[in-house]
Amino acid sequence: MQLAWKLTFALLLGLIGAGTTAAQDARRAILDGNPEALKRGSLLFRARCSGCHGLDAKGVSGPDLTAVLAAGTTEDRFFRVVRTGQGTDMPRFGSDQTADSQVWEILAHLRSLSQAGASEPIRGNAENGARIFRTSCTGCHRVNGVGGALGPDLSRVGSMRSATALMAKVRDPNKSHVPGFRPVSVVLNDGRRIRGVVKNEDAFSIQILDVSERIQGLSKTGVREIVREPRSPMPAFGADRLSDSDLRDLVSHLMTLRNNTPAS
Amino acid sequence: MIGSGYSRLLGTVGAVCVLGLLAGGAAVTAQQPSNTITFQDLLQGLKDPTRWLTFSGDYSGQRHSPLTQITPENVKHLSPQWTFQTDTPGKFEATPIVLDGVLYVTGANNLAWALDARTGRTIWRYRRDLPDGVVVCCGRVNRGFGILGDTLYMATLDAHLLAMDRKTGAIVWDAVLGDYKAAYSSTSAPLVVKDKVLIGMGGGEYGVRGFIDAYDAKTGKRAWRFHTIPAPGEPGNDSWSKDNDSWATGGGATWQIGSYDPELNLVIWGTGNAGPQMYGGDRPGDNLYAASFVALDADTGKVRWHFQFTPHDVWDYDATHVPVLADIMLNGQRRKVVLNANRNGFFYVLDRETGKMLLGKPFANTTWAKEIGADGRPKVLPNTIPTEKGALVCPAAAGATNFMTPSYDPKLGLLFITAREGCMTFYAWKVDYVAGDSFRGGAGVASEPAGGTYGALRAIDPTTGAQRWEFRYTSPTSAGVTSTASGLVFTGDNEGNFIAFDGRTGKSLWHYQTGSGIYASATTYMLDGKQHIVMPSGATLTAFALPDADVQR
Repeated sequence: MQLAWKLTFALLLGLIGAGTTAAQDARRAILDGNPEALKRGSLLFRARCSGCHGLDAKGVSGPDLTAVLAAGTTEDRFFRVVRTGQGTDMPRFGSDQTADSQVWEILAHLRSLSQAGASEPIRGNAENGARIFRTSCTGCHRVNGVGGALGPDLSRVGSMRSATALMAKVRDPNKSHVPGFRPVSVVLNDGRRIRGVVKNEDAFSIQILDVSERIQGLSKTGVREIVREPRSPMPAFGADRLSDSDLRDLVSHLMTLRNNTPAS
Repeated sequence: MIGSGYSRLLGTVGAVCVLGLLAGGAAVTAQQPSNTITFQDLLQGLKDPTRWLTFSGDYSGQRHSPLTQITPENVKHLSPQWTFQTDTPGKFEATPIVLDGVLYVTGANNLAWALDARTGRTIWRYRRDLPDGVVVCCGRVNRGFGILGDTLYMATLDAHLLAMDRKTGAIVWDAVLGDYKAAYSSTSAPLVVKDKVLIGMGGGEYGVRGFIDAYDAKTGKRAWRFHTIPAPGEPGNDSWSKDNDSWATGGGATWQIGSYDPELNLVIWGTGNAGPQMYGGDRPGDNLYAASFVALDADTGKVRWHFQFTPHDVWDYDATHVPVLADIMLNGQRRKVVLNANRNGFFYVLDRETGKMLLGKPFANTTWAKEIGADGRPKVLPNTIPTEKGALVCPAAAGATNFMTPSYDPKLGLLFITAREGCMTFYAWKVDYVAGDSFRGGAGVASEPAGGTYGALRAIDPTTGAQRWEFRYTSPTSAGVTSTASGLVFTGDNEGNFIAFDGRTGKSLWHYQTGSGIYASATTYMLDGKQHIVMPSGATLTAFALPDADVQR
């Protein structure tokens, strides 16, 4: 079956002329919402990848691929890593075993996982949403280099999160926290209290970005207590602060943020 | 500084002798003690404090050094002496061999080095041209050399066993263990016993049939092979399906080194998960000898006893641990035992002569079974077998511990282990065997337990199985443990800290940020009157010692 598909694909490429354009077209045909390809990708992922990356792709012994894609990994890089391992601990999947089309099918499946529900339509006034964003959000969130650093960079949020998930997050930011932005209060031995988000931590030290955006490392010998704050530094935008209609506008704007250039 | 002239000198064949003279200090004669390693030397273990000759330091697997210069009082002064970087991708999981002021160490992708133990400078480097298409589940790593005579032994990712000239790194012989195209590989350090080199293999995620091999150390001719999965007609084959050849792809890989009891002439070695890894539907039965310890006659490879920790394993609970051989008091009697904190979450004490279980107690959160029966069988709980719909089980597939080495301090009577808490939803589905392809028949989704997912160093009293103390890390760690007779315990964490603990209390006394997660264990030895301790981390080795002021008496 697998071999038959490979042969057909090779033949197809041969007929078209095996040019780069043909390969590009084949890639696009798979990646641009082909339900059959998506299904094949899901089965391939289950058989070949899920052992290390987990059935939900969120990582077991291998890394969280939804996070890797969300961080802006390009299609070409994804392909190269699958093919060569790229110096990672991952086995190579050569073309003798895994056809080009199969790599793209796996990628299509992964995208469907990380964007869960992204294609749900949302009809708001994105321009009004952009205005709301500038006044209420840019203090902490950065988009294309403009804005604060206390919250996650939202330059690509439209391709990473569904509209539904974003609406829920704006209404209640305390349900879950993105790694690197977990809220914390560090109480020093002299009683001073520093509020911020955890950037990194080990048994002996903690690295934080405090609410004044000072980035600093603290040795735990100088710390009396580390309080894992249940509440995000992000205020909850309830219906009293942001009407349903404004929320739709804001999220409509967020869904337009799809800067796909890789992070520098 | 001695400088480059010194380094050049080390590159010559006579260098080893020169180093010997430097180490010896005064009265220099032409005849230095022989550095040609004999079986007697290996039996001596760590009694010569300048040496570390086998993965675990000695045959017992206790990984406990008799050295006492570094103490709980002065350990805080420990200072880096040098750092060696491989300048290549991949990480160290190896324990270096230490002999006569030289470290012999293996790295990722079957690179290997002889290093000047004083400076970390390279004496020779070996690089293997690995073929494309090597398949390993969990890293292109290697855990170290074995040594006998003037020969080093290293297993390779493409499933060969190499004999190498200690002075030059030149290949002496090359034996094939298995077919790498069918995902046979080896990452283990070899165990040299008498005149044989014993080696295990990997590939349990790919439908291999596991074995432990012994090769003639001089010629590379295979002396015996013990298949961990018995063929039809052999004892134990009835623990596999009668309706198919499930035994032939039954796993039971042997990818972590065993231990050796010279009195009983027994090699005790752990075996990995059954295959397929999570789908057990085609292999009804206990699936011997997967997820077991097997005790083999060192001369013949014949099995004398076995103990299966996880019958019909479907959770990836490999028993590929270094068996810790110890003599302990149990119920007023001195017993020869094997200690094992198992990936399945239970701590076991086995009788070393018979394999009978003397004690079995959980050391971590286990939900697949809460207790082990008197017969040694776990009482498996309902709804824990992986299915298409999933079954939430603790520990996760990575286990409550894993390949990381434990250590045992006989004076304190404590076993130190790297433990981890975590759970996973296990999914399983039918899978067909294709040579070289994944043969898991399942996958997991990580699940955070109420107390969080974390790693810890735990001290266990082997007479009761009770936990004496623990030190928690911020994440699960894969570093092994080494202890010393001064009551210190050395290990590391996933965040890169190399840490020294007080073995009595579990208090951390000193730590050093090495810059990369630690996947190996420390090695300690005397050099120029100073106790050194080397920790691999990422693709670096760093050597530590005390300042002169702490060493002068």
